[in-house]
Amino acid sequence: MIVCVAVVGQQNNPLYIQSFTEADDALKLHHIVHCSLDVVDERVNNPKKSGPMLNETFLGLLYPTENYKVYGFLTNTKVKFILVTTDLDVRDADVRNFFRKFHAAYVDAVSNPFHVPGKKITSKTFAERVSNIVKSFGMGSTG
Amino acid sequence: MIGVGKIKQYSNVLDKPVSKGKQEVSLMDNIAELERRLEDAGYTVGARVLELLCHREKGNRRETRLLGILSFVHSTVWKVLFGKVADSLEKGTEHEDEYMISERELLVNRFISIPKDMGTFNCGAFVAGIVRGVLDSAGFPAVVTAHFVPIEGLLRPRTTILIKFAEEVLRREARLG
Repeated sequence: MIVCVAVVGQQNNPLYIQSFTEADDALKLHHIVHCSLDVVDERVNNPKKSGPMLNETFLGLLYPTENYKVYGFLTNTKVKFILVTTDLDVRDADVRNFFRKFHAAYVDAVSNPFHVPGKKITSKTFAERVSNIVKSFGMGSTG
Repeated sequence: MIGVGKIKQYSNVLDKPVSKGKQEVSLMDNIAELERRLEDAGYTVGARVLELLCHREKGNRRETRLLGILSFVHSTVWKVLFGKVADSLEKGTEHEDEYMISERELLVNRFISIPKDMGTFNCGAFVAGIVRGVLDSAGFPAVVTAHFVPIEGLLRPRTTILIKFAEEVLRREARLG
């Protein structure tokens, strides 16, 4: 079950945050996303310590908290995608697939000439596509 | 009565005398302003092109090295925008932080002829803006300009895009080894 997705800009400013459960506190989710940004920065700025290829876009599992898992993805323009999920056995391939579709939706939203980079993404089409991707993520991993 | 007034009414609008421009327009200001606006337009294109290309072509890798991003601009970006790779990529000899991408016939300059009184205005400023957008969004801040380089044997001058990287890029590159 995906709890929340977030798009964070170059200066760590939030561009799009969407939560998919009503049960949890939105503020707590914001806080989790914010903490995971530190992990992203650490991975990006210490290439020798992290070990794996430093120029991968998919960052993998950032850190597991009490009942959430947080995955990260970094694009070439330093824009970060954060995915918070409560699933316990999420396959790597599923998350990569999710981020690939999410990246496609993001690229389409940013290609809008009226979109100002650095401002929040206000496109309704983007929001719809993201909810569709989130729904199909649930199907893929259970089916 | 209609038509009575201080203004003379003409029966045919073509008979009205054409008004002469009263103010002097300073061309020096306009050229710099025009180039800046072209470059800004190119910058927005460049930022989006980078995002799009990374999703379509690059798959899973980010460019972190100077030569990597330069060859990416030189081949992939040029191929997507103009249908072919750029003619050449050279490193500047005088300064460490200068690189040049040259093109015999830049698409934007091919069908535009600059009037004599516009002086050194170069429509390649748009392409310079695109390159600056790509480099800036990828984390390599640079100053990019377009210049004409006359070559013997060629009727029209070659266009060169001059890229001058910021200090922090060189320091980071030296740190990465």
